[in-house]
Amino acid sequence: MAQPVRDDAKPVVDASRAAAGTRVDLDGVSRRYRIGDVTVTALEQVDLHVDEAAFVVILGPSGSGKTTLLNLIGALDVATEGRVRVGGQDVTAASRSERARLRRHTVSFVFQSFNLFPGLTALENVQFGADVAGRAQARQTAESTLAGVGLAGRANHFPHQLSGGEQQRVAIARALATGNPVLLADEPTGELDFRTGVAILDLLRKQAEAGTTVLVVTHNREIARVADRVIELSSGHIVADGPPPGGRAPVSELHW
Amino acid sequence: MRTRGLLLRWALRDLRRRWVLVTAIALVLALGTGTYAALLGTSDWRRASNDRSFELLRMHDVRVTLSEGLTAEAGTLAAAVGRIPQAAQVQAVAERLILPTLVDVSSAGQQVLVPGRIVGMPVDAPVDRLSVSSGQGLRAGDPAVVLERSFADYYDLPDAGTLRVAGDRSLSYAGHGQLPEYFAIAGGGGGAFTTEAGFGVVFAPLETAQALADAPGRVNEVVLRLASGADDGAVAAALQQELDAEQLASTAVVKGEEIVYRTLYEDIEGDAQFWRIIAGLLLAGAAFATFNLTTRVVESQRREIGVAMALGLPRRQLAIRPLALGVQISVLGVLLGIGVGVVTGRLFGGLFRTLLPLPVWEQPFPYATYLQAAALGFLLPLLGVAWPTWRAIRVEPVEAIRVGHLAARQVRFTPLLRRLALPGRSYSRMPLRNLVRTPRRTVLTSLGVGAAIATLVAVFGILDSFTGTLDDFDAEATRSAPDRVTVQFADVFPEDAPQVAAVTGAPQVGDAATTLLVDGTARSAGEEIPLAVSIRDLGGGLWRPTIDGGGADAARSGIVLSQVAARDLGVQPGDRIELDHPQRTAAGFTRATTTIVVGGIHPGPIRAVAYLDRSQAAAFGTSGLVNALEVTPAAGVSRDELTRALFAVPDVASVQAATAVTDSFRDALGAFTSVLGVAAAVTLLLALLIAFNATSIATDERARENATMFAFGLPRRAVVTMGVVENAFIGLLGTAVGLGLGYLFTRYTVEVQLHRTLPEFGMPASVSPTTVVVALALGVGAVALTPLVTLRSLGRMDIPATLRVVE
Repeated sequence: MAQPVRDDAKPVVDASRAAAGTRVDLDGVSRRYRIGDVTVTALEQVDLHVDEAAFVVILGPSGSGKTTLLNLIGALDVATEGRVRVGGQDVTAASRSERARLRRHTVSFVFQSFNLFPGLTALENVQFGADVAGRAQARQTAESTLAGVGLAGRANHFPHQLSGGEQQRVAIARALATGNPVLLADEPTGELDFRTGVAILDLLRKQAEAGTTVLVVTHNREIARVADRVIELSSGHIVADGPPPGGRAPVSELHW
Repeated sequence: MRTRGLLLRWALRDLRRRWVLVTAIALVLALGTGTYAALLGTSDWRRASNDRSFELLRMHDVRVTLSEGLTAEAGTLAAAVGRIPQAAQVQAVAERLILPTLVDVSSAGQQVLVPGRIVGMPVDAPVDRLSVSSGQGLRAGDPAVVLERSFADYYDLPDAGTLRVAGDRSLSYAGHGQLPEYFAIAGGGGGAFTTEAGFGVVFAPLETAQALADAPGRVNEVVLRLASGADDGAVAAALQQELDAEQLASTAVVKGEEIVYRTLYEDIEGDAQFWRIIAGLLLAGAAFATFNLTTRVVESQRREIGVAMALGLPRRQLAIRPLALGVQISVLGVLLGIGVGVVTGRLFGGLFRTLLPLPVWEQPFPYATYLQAAALGFLLPLLGVAWPTWRAIRVEPVEAIRVGHLAARQVRFTPLLRRLALPGRSYSRMPLRNLVRTPRRTVLTSLGVGAAIATLVAVFGILDSFTGTLDDFDAEATRSAPDRVTVQFADVFPEDAPQVAAVTGAPQVGDAATTLLVDGTARSAGEEIPLAVSIRDLGGGLWRPTIDGGGADAARSGIVLSQVAARDLGVQPGDRIELDHPQRTAAGFTRATTTIVVGGIHPGPIRAVAYLDRSQAAAFGTSGLVNALEVTPAAGVSRDELTRALFAVPDVASVQAATAVTDSFRDALGAFTSVLGVAAAVTLLLALLIAFNATSIATDERARENATMFAFGLPRRAVVTMGVVENAFIGLLGTAVGLGLGYLFTRYTVEVQLHRTLPEFGMPASVSPTTVVVALALGVGAVALTPLVTLRSLGRMDIPATLRVVE
């Protein structure tokens, strides 16, 4: 049986990396795509500055540009215009290998559909994160991280043997095991039931409190209540930016 | 109806989207079916060409040759034919004079001095007509001779010129030509083997040959053409009996036993068996690959099929789109297969024309074979898509349309997967795990590669078996006095004859040992094989064979047979056999049968070669007689100098190095290699295509896994390396299967098929380390490296888009 997420779970951010600076800065960033003869603008002249250790929720309807924003910060994509800096490093001007290095050592991802490796066990999936980031004692790091998300007892199970919530926790553990100071989560609760979703948000919230900069993309407004800051996108523009209305709520108060 | 049209349009769009993959799969299939058709089609046109060529030149049905050294007055042999009870069945007779000789066609540019034969024949022979390929033929009253075509072609000799034969006599030749017996230069007589490079045949008017032999009016061979339905064996036996009565010992050969005739036809059968194996393996490889690839393509449509099911589309309509893929591959595969078949067929046709320049070559299109191959080529992809389509349309729609983690299927061998925990980084475990969690894909891809490698090993294994046997034979032949040459006289002489002294006393000759070579027939337990018996000093001399079993004394008191002869006769040292041999009498030679013990076994690969110690010559009535010498060059004299010096000695018919037989074989192997090279090239292409297609599909299937790895910053080279390692495992598995299967096929081909086609030559099957290394390099190396071709597409991957793709 899966173990519950431990309340005393220790965050696993690599302190030395966090100290290197994890600010996220976007200045006049636009992203346009050409689809045949048509140019589609996903983001238009976006300016955004995120401090270290913030828990930021990016809200917006489908097609508003929130995932594009996350991809640009995560160096998966390159801006057509403007400048993206992560931890002081200019992602826009970086070469492909430099962007790969940034993904190895600065940012980590949690995907909506988990994207676990079916050929690796839960523990090995988590170890993957630590291995790629080049962390010493990758195995031990993976074990403690997996225990941190309450899945020590499921370490040797393969993804197809885990429930959706367990798979997402493994995915988060994989991202955390990198020890990278910026965590980017794209609809992390999108495929989960309410209880599991809340548990996952609690886990992410704790990482932010421990010093990780967490950016969560969602269309679920309820999730925004636990954020330090809520950024709302519409048609590629930031239409709102600030703390959640009514102040930050504890995770236990969420319901949807 | 409208839905069906929509589905067909959709199928066409599928084709436009993945035409490269469809073409690549079709090409795999085409290589299998096309080569299958081309290889099996060779039998039809080779048989047709043989039939036409032998008939065109009116090949003899019976050939009777007088024993070594015997000649008869012209007309004697034809008269004997007239006296046999079956004389009425004889349609045509021709007498000939066959002379062993040395042929020198050296020019300023090249040195060509080889043993050979002068075939003295009537210029207007009614049997065994001479086919002139260039220049002019034999003409009455003109002493000019004709050079055998293959020999002339090999050395690129002009249509007319001069040549020298043993005894240092000069002759003019006016053209190049062929007799049926020499369509392929496969026998130098007495069971010896040679090829066109090492054996020069000169066709001469009978009078010219008689003049060269200083035997005017003499002949030593008669050839007969019989009426249809005549018993050639009975005619041959009757004629031999008739000649025996005149103290003219002889050997008789019927057409079916003529080494060239038999080889050319049995070679077709042997080759057909071999081609069937090779074609079957290629087809199997292509079938495994096609099945694997089509299955995987259809699997990738699983969700779309589920959606259509959810929308209520009937199952038979659901099957249209995947089946259309099968039809596309089938049609393209058949069309490409015909192209591959025609090209490969033409390639084979060209090679056979070069290897075997028959007077008539016909290459009709083998419709039946192509039809069979086309049917196979059409059905295989349909079967390949039928199975996954059947599976896909049988699941519940809700299962088919599941996405994300819910789509994760139960994986077989999960406990085994868990145990495959290699030390090191987590992602280093992925290649092996990927193989185990998709066993069907792994097995089918490996079997495809394995079938291709098995073909390669079978092809090269045959060459290895030949070369290994020849190497052993060379080692045996050069165990002592490696630079010795065998000098064969045109006649049998007493040991103290001046002809013998002329050789042994020549200043270029060092040591010499006498030998008497006689033909014979060994019989035991109903089996009968021809022998070339060398009567020599088995206790000394310049060289003696390695003899197993019985010891030296036993060997000297019995006959020493080759391993193949002993096996075919079913005898061991100590057993007795009946030996039919020529025996000298006061009036000449007659045939006698002697029971003789098998004194030992020698390791030589030529079945006919047998040895008797000279102490037993009395039993043959040949004490003190010699027709061959083994001599070594004197100090400071090269073997070439010795050969040239002996060429001028009267009555010397041939001078050959100890390794002449294997040299000839090696030469023939060179040509054989080019034929097998075509099969090897197809195999290599097939293995690479299978690996490429499998890799290409695997890259598509794992797009999301790869994108996730890239999202975590794993470098492209690491992802490609994983593909390389995974393919290396598949290659290793396939190569292991291929090596095992290939060795079995080599053994079957060499020890069963080849022994049936060429019983005169015995060789064990072997696969050389080089072949194993080549198989590993291709099966593991080349297959492992195919993921490198995905480097570019991985580099261009749209990571965000791929990550967001759901199923």
